[in-house]
This record gives sequence, structure tokens and C-alpha cells, in this order.
Amino acid sequence: MKLSLLGATGAAALLALLSANAFAGGKTKIDFWYGNSGDISKRVQEVCQHFNESQKDYEIVCTSQGTYAGAVQNTIAAYRAGQQPTIVQVFDVGTLDLMLSDAYYPASKLMADEGYKVDWNNYLPGIRGYYATSKGEMYSFPFNSSTALLYWNKDAFQKIGKTEAPKTWEEAAADMKALKDAGYACPLGFNISADESWQLLEQFSAVNDQPLATKDNGYGGLDAELVFNKTKFVQYVTDLKSWYDQGLAVLKSKESGEEMVPAFASGHCQMILTSVGDHGTIGRTAAPDMHWSVAMLPTYAGIERKSSLVGGASLWVLQGKSKDEYKAAAAFLNFIAQPEQALFWSTVTGYIPVTKTGYDFMVEKGFYKDPKYQGREIAIASLTASDKLSQTHGTRLGGFLQIRNEVANGWQAIFANKVSVQEGIDQMVERGNGILRRFEATYKGKQLP
Amino acid sequence: MVERSPILNLISQLLLFLGLLSALLPFAIIAIAASHDLRTVNEVPMPLTPGPYFWDNIVEAWNRADLGPKIVNSIVFAAGVALGKVFIAALTAFSIVYFRYWGKMVVFWAIFITLMLPLEVRIVPTYAVAANVLSPYQALLDISGITWLVRQATGIEIALKWGLLNSYTGLILPLIATATGTFLYRQFFLTLPDELTEAARMDGAGAIRFFFDVLLPLSRTNMAALGTIMFVWAWNQYLWPLLVTTDAAHGTAVTQLKELIPQTNGTPDWHIAMAGTLIVMLPPLVVVIFMQRWFVRGLVAAEK
Amino acid sequence: MEKRTLFTNKGLGIALVVPQVLLIFTFFYWPAGQALYWAFTLERPWGGGNEWVGTSNFTQLLGDPVYWNSILTSLIFAFSATVLAMGVALTMALLVDRELRGFRVYRTVLVWPYAIAAPALGVAFRFILAPEAGFMAYLNHAFPGLWNPALNGAQAMIAIVIAYVWKYIGYNFIFFLAALQAIPKSLIEAAAMDGSGLLRRIRDIQLPLLTPTIFFLVVINLTDSFTDSFGIVDLMTAGGPNRATELMVYKIFFDGFKGLDYSGAAAQSIILMLLVIALTVFQFRFLERRVHYK
Repeated sequence: MKLSLLGATGAAALLALLSANAFAGGKTKIDFWYGNSGDISKRVQEVCQHFNESQKDYEIVCTSQGTYAGAVQNTIAAYRAGQQPTIVQVFDVGTLDLMLSDAYYPASKLMADEGYKVDWNNYLPGIRGYYATSKGEMYSFPFNSSTALLYWNKDAFQKIGKTEAPKTWEEAAADMKALKDAGYACPLGFNISADESWQLLEQFSAVNDQPLATKDNGYGGLDAELVFNKTKFVQYVTDLKSWYDQGLAVLKSKESGEEMVPAFASGHCQMILTSVGDHGTIGRTAAPDMHWSVAMLPTYAGIERKSSLVGGASLWVLQGKSKDEYKAAAAFLNFIAQPEQALFWSTVTGYIPVTKTGYDFMVEKGFYKDPKYQGREIAIASLTASDKLSQTHGTRLGGFLQIRNEVANGWQAIFANKVSVQEGIDQMVERGNGILRRFEATYKGKQLP
Repeated sequence: MVERSPILNLISQLLLFLGLLSALLPFAIIAIAASHDLRTVNEVPMPLTPGPYFWDNIVEAWNRADLGPKIVNSIVFAAGVALGKVFIAALTAFSIVYFRYWGKMVVFWAIFITLMLPLEVRIVPTYAVAANVLSPYQALLDISGITWLVRQATGIEIALKWGLLNSYTGLILPLIATATGTFLYRQFFLTLPDELTEAARMDGAGAIRFFFDVLLPLSRTNMAALGTIMFVWAWNQYLWPLLVTTDAAHGTAVTQLKELIPQTNGTPDWHIAMAGTLIVMLPPLVVVIFMQRWFVRGLVAAEK
Repeated sequence: MEKRTLFTNKGLGIALVVPQVLLIFTFFYWPAGQALYWAFTLERPWGGGNEWVGTSNFTQLLGDPVYWNSILTSLIFAFSATVLAMGVALTMALLVDRELRGFRVYRTVLVWPYAIAAPALGVAFRFILAPEAGFMAYLNHAFPGLWNPALNGAQAMIAIVIAYVWKYIGYNFIFFLAALQAIPKSLIEAAAMDGSGLLRRIRDIQLPLLTPTIFFLVVINLTDSFTDSFGIVDLMTAGGPNRATELMVYKIFFDGFKGLDYSGAAAQSIILMLLVIALTVFQFRFLERRVHYK
């Protein structure tokens, strides 16, 4: 507790006191705030501990802020009071907010300033394409990363005489019908909350090469407009709705009591679309004698598959810290980029390596041969499915959490038969565009990097 | 019990028992979830017979969230907030009910309005105040030109600073103001007969003595109720403790508990989270039990 | 409401409120004032500029039918939650106050719900109310499709009201009980001796003497159900399905805390505050007349 009326010298003394704090015990101490919770939070703490044990000069203090949104909000509060952490984890859709702030120290610049040579092309193209600026520069470090996959139950598919997952939605529809006829109550489990915008709208649009918005999905400027009411997405929702009406696709949500991941793990549903991050969970919760695997998301017939999107979060370094703290931050970020860390991280979580060297190292160590992790290489294949990036290599749209909410509202109206599919999607786009215009007005005069 | 009426009593007991069951049901579900392993807890529907892993899960939750020291912090924090609220609310209500001065209704309403804006909405400026409690006053000095005057006259720059981050003061002080408490005491004081005040004044007892010797003892039951509720309320606060304490030494049990809650794409280890919940809920439940001894029949006969 | 006998020392009276006034000025009004100022601007979350836009945030909101729907939803939620939470708590408190066998156990356990930690509340009620997993599964087994809060808005609303009320019963119960304790037993015994039955005694003696507490709880319950209910919505329905549970305060929480639209959230906060203040003033004006303080 310091209650003081300070003169000019006092202020200097205080400053000295503050910086003395950062050197507790001869080490430079930095804060890292992140949004993970549950066992992922425990794993992040382990990474921090490994870093602290690996060297003597720096100490990183890692604090969970409970949720991704909480991490961003609390960091903003701290930043505006001059108390920000050195490193903060920002979820994928928060990337734009950071880019438009003056609060960050660009990753590429930090590493160059601190004398680290980073080959930015080493990051997997799908990941790089998502986080980089329109000029291809990386401002943050991809951290926990995933992509969406199709999970399918091999036992059930065997019953309908198939040994492979469907590659197209046409094929999937036939499989669902066959599964239903074979007595399975839930051929495809899915949900229509804001979270599923990720796999059902964003990932779908990416692999099927459909745009979400004009201006290169927003990378080209804040005046982008949503257009997904005129793409293949309309057909997709129409199909989902008809599968739902026929009982081929079943809603699995927390409101209904069984979410889709447990529904798949328990064998209640034979296919789901979810993150590779759930791979470990399903392995640990499914009955040991259940045979299942993963595949790339289906596309519509006749469409050339493009790379899927990365999801998760990246690490940002914030402005307003001392040279020593930046040294520590660079050392930490360099540490987690090492292939050994990628192996550790993917072993204890379901997340994927973010660099080619990390991936090669894991292949070399036989990670993907281990039956526990088999199939996870498909996530890498999905992220690198095409050389040319899709029209949807990412989403750089303002207020995107609110837009996802509008998508969910539209779906819920459609599936409760309150509006037609086209009306529902038009509504999503119209309200979503309202959010985009509001965001644009808030950042009037600001240039998107 | 005033009269003997077996049927009435039976109905009463029945209703009470139903109430008891519905009050306990969620707790039972949490306890059962805390006794399973990862696979069973995620089964749909979850089996309603307890599993054998209760103690393992408790130990895992305790260790993972480092609950020992955090519970101590939480007790200090929640007790501090509850005591502070019980006392400051009594003072304010005493002033509002027993004195007459200009602006007292403004004060009452000003306190009341603080109920209406959740912290989540004013988090950014509130954090700035926690980082320097005196910043509002500094701003007032700056705006009014006093800072400038002093600098011109003496060459001294006024820089007020009192940071609350990572301290018990920072945890407790900002949460002590209470509209609920003030309102509750006001309601109670208004029911007390005027004869009490008159007697005290005739006695020559000053206002302060009247407050301590007459009002507070009479408010015992209300204080117990308010103190209990406020202890529990403070115990379950999440966002404020999380923001104010970045160093682990000052963290509270509930912020740690939130960290145990599984996230999307993480392992859904609800058995650990629920075990942690049980541990963290225990102290408030015990406080509720102990509060009982303060519930005594009132002595003042209110006339009808 | 005013006492007849008052202390005359004005200075002391003012001194007694100073601590609380200082606290609310420093930790509420100063920061809240800044946050509410954003309602008239477009504030950038990370700072670095905001533009004065006058009342356009308000006109945008009030011109949106979705927002009016949210106001209506909030009113429905607040009134049903208040009536239920208070009705059940009052019944329980009156029964416990009869001091039948085991009343000490009831007295303790009925307060416990208020002590439940928020995440556990969500999990437990999700289990109890989920159509496929919980007790409702049996109901749905008998009448397929009867209960489905995932797509049925009214049922989703019922679900959040139940979970919210469950917790607040504990809160109301303890204050009712404290007030009932203050009623001397002799009063009730005398009435019983005169031959008035239980319901009669409740109506003639206990309820009138409880009015100060009832008034207190109505005001607090209504206010809290408008301003303190975003947590339960966030845990259980996230405002869905199709906005059926999008309470005003949840929208504020979502837009401001998660979506970083500080200005929109500030404008919504002002509207919510005005609404709650109006309701409260109304209650003090009209409801308090019926309160028997002596």
C-alpha cells in the first residue's frame, strides 16, 4: 500500500521501485495472460514451468483469465491502466481487434530486434494465411492451433459395407440414409449454437472455396460486406435442414443434454464435425472396443478442395514494456517454437504443430504411428490441402463474435421452422452487415495492416 | 408450535421435505459427478449411483488448483467484505433514518443505483481506479487547475498514487459499499418504535451511544442474515478478484475453481471440476450453519 | 418515510454517510461515469480515440425490433423470477417458523442454494432439465418431444427462470426468516388463544409485520433479476434459441464484455438503468404506502 504525495524526485524513485520489481531475485519477471481453462490450462502452466526450468535469466508468470474473451477484456483493462502483461493470448477472431490497436509489438519486429532469426515461411500455410496481415507479415505467434475434421465410426460404416469416410456431401447423405436404415438413430450429430459457425459456416466455406465476405473476407479493408447468403452455404443449410427433418442429422447440444463429442464417443452418433482438439478426448472417453477415425471435411461434388482454416489462438506481445522484458518475451516465444515443445504440446493436448519443422520432428519421432494419435496427421493434410489458398483463408471481420451470434439466431429460427432457409440466411447477413458497419465507424480513419 | 393439528403439521412437514429435496438435489448431482472417472462422468445419462473415485478426484482438484492457501485468502477476503458491508451499511442507514439534512434522499438513491450496473460493463475504468485509487481525485485537481497552481507556486508536481493491485485492501475495499445492506437496515430501523429514540434522548444518551447500545443489539438477527448473504456473495465473486490479483499469492478459491472448468476442445474432466466445486462450496455452507446461533427471537414487541 | 423523533446533530448525520459515499464515488460513479460517457461516442476498446456521435447509439438500438424483444424478455423474466422466488421462500420461511420437528435442519439447508458456485449451478441444472439426459428424459419418454428447450424458446425461458429462482430462494428465505424471528411469539400465541387459525394468523399478524421485508425483497429481487442474471443465461442458453432468452443485461454483457462494443453496451446500460430506476421509483411511490412500519 503506497499512499504518497510525490515530487519529481519521488516519481523517479517510484519508477526505480517498479523496475526493481521486475528483477526479483536477479531474474527478469514477465506476465503471460491466457484464456484456457480446465486441463489445457494445466498444460499451459507446464509449458511455463519448462521454460522457467530451462534457463536462469527469466521467469514467466502465467495466469489463466478463465475464458478467451476474459483474457482479451482483462488485458484491455490492464493495458489502459498501464498494468498490462507482456504477453497475452488472443483467440483467432480477436486478431483484427489487436491489429487495429496500437497496443502490440509486432512479432516479426520483436524477434528481429532481439536477434532471433525466424523463418516465417516455416509456419504451415493455412496457419500463416490466417494470422498474417494482408501484406503477409506476422504480428503474433500462432499458439494452440486446430482445424475441423469429420469424425466417423468405423464399426457403423462397416455395417453398411463401407471402409472409408465420405468425401463429398452427396456421398455423406447416402451414407446417412444407409446408417439410418441399418438402425442407427443418429447418423450425423450436429449443433447450431454460435460455436458451430466455425465448422458449419467458416470451415465449410474455406474447404469449398466459398467467400464469406467481399474484400478478400475482410483482409482487404474494413468496408467488407458479408455475402454468404449467395454461396454454396445456402445449399448446405438446406441439406442440413432436410437431413434433420428426415432424422438423418440430429441436434446434439448442451441444452438437449448430450453434446456432440460425448454423443460420438458413446456411439450414439456415427459422424460429427468438430475440432482435431477433441481427438484426445474421444480417445479417452470412447469405449475401448469402438473403432473410429477422422477424415477431412467433405466438400460438395465438383468442387476442388481447398485448405481448411486454423482455429485457436495466437500470442501477442504488448507495447509499453522494458527492453529486458522484451528479451524475456522473445526467449519464451523462441522456446515454445522449438520442435520438442511442439511434440510435448501435441502429446498432452489435441492441438497440432504449427510449423513444418515441428511437424517433421513429430513424424520422425513416430508420434503419428502411435495408435493413440493416429489420424491427427489428417489435420495437417487438411490445412495444407491446396497450394493456392482458398477465398476463405481466414476471416478478418470486425465484431465477429456478434456475427457468429447472428448466424446462430438465424439457424435457430430456421430449424424451429420460423423462417425459410433463404430468409434465415439473409437475416444473418443483413444483421451481420450492420455489425460490420458499426465496427467500421468505430475505427474510422484507421488503416488495416 | 402453537396448536396441535396433526393434519396441518403433516402438510407442513411434507412441503418442507419437498423443499429440502429440491434444495439438495443439485448438490447431490454435483457430488455424484465428483465420484466418477472421466468416461463415466461424460456418459449420457450420467449414472446416478456414486462411483468409487470421489476421494481421488477431491485430491486431484485440491492439488491442481492449489486450494489450501487460496481458501485461506478467500476466507480473509469474504469475511472482510461481509464485516465491512454489515458495518458501513448500518452507519449509513442510521444516518438516513435518524437524522435530517439536505440531500439525504440523494445519498440513499445514489447508493441504490450502484446495484444497477454490473462490473462487467465498467471493467476498464474500474481497473484504472484499482491501479490508482487516487486517480479520480488527481483528475479533479487537474481539471480544477489546482495542480497547475501548486506547480506555479511551489514547483511541486502533485502526483497522487495509491495502487491496490495485489493486496487484500484492493480485494476488499471496492466491494464494501452496499445498497442491499443499507436498504435492509433502513427497513428495520423504520420498524423500531419512536419511543426508543425518545427514551434514549431523555436518557441523555448521544446518537453514537444510541447506535451502539440500542440499535446494533436489536439488529442482531438482521446482521446475521446480511452477514451470511454477503459472505457467500463475496466468496463467489470471480471477476474482481481475478483482475486485482495477478500474483498467485493473493488469488481466491473461486478464481482457481474457474480454471478447473473444462473448455471447449479440452478434456471434459467435469469430475475434477465438480470435486473442486464441492471443496470450494464447503466454507460458505459451514458459515450458514454457524450463523444459526444468531437467529434468536426478537425482544421488542412491535405494536400493531 | 420519516421518523417522528430524530437526532438534531446534522454534522454527525452527514459524517456517518461519508465513508460509503467516498466508496461509491471512487469505485462506482467515477468509473461508471466514464463507461456511460461512451454511450455518446464510438469507443475503441484498446483506446486511441473515440468519436462523439451524440445519441445515434440510442436511436440505433431503439429502432431495432430485436432490442424491444429483449426488453420484453427481460420484463417477463424479472417478474416471473421475482414472484416465484419470493412466493416459495415466503412459504418455506412461514413453515420453518412454526418450529416443527427438524426445523433447524430446514433452516440451514434451505439457505444453501445461495451458496452454490455459478459453474456448478449451470452443470447441475443442465443435467436436471436436459431432455435427453436428465429427469426430463423420463417425461420425454412418455410424451416424445414435449420438452425441448434447445429449440423451444418458451421452454428455454422456463429453464433459466427455474435455475435462477432456485438460487434466489435461499437468499429470500434467510431475510424472511430473520424478519419472522422478530415477531414475538406471545403475539401469535395470543391470537391462537383467541381461536384464529394458521392462515388467519399469517394474514392478520405475520404478513402485515413482514411488509417492510417484503418491500425490501421485492425491490432487490426485481433489480437483481434485471441486472444480475447474465451469468445464468451465459451458462445455460447463451440467449437462444433465436433470442428467446436474450435478456437486456445478457446482451450488454455479450456486446460489451465479449464483443468489445463498449459504446453499444454503454447505451444499453443507460436504458436498462433508466428502466430499473423507473420501476424502483414506482415501487417507493406506490408500494411503500402499503408497508406497515409500525
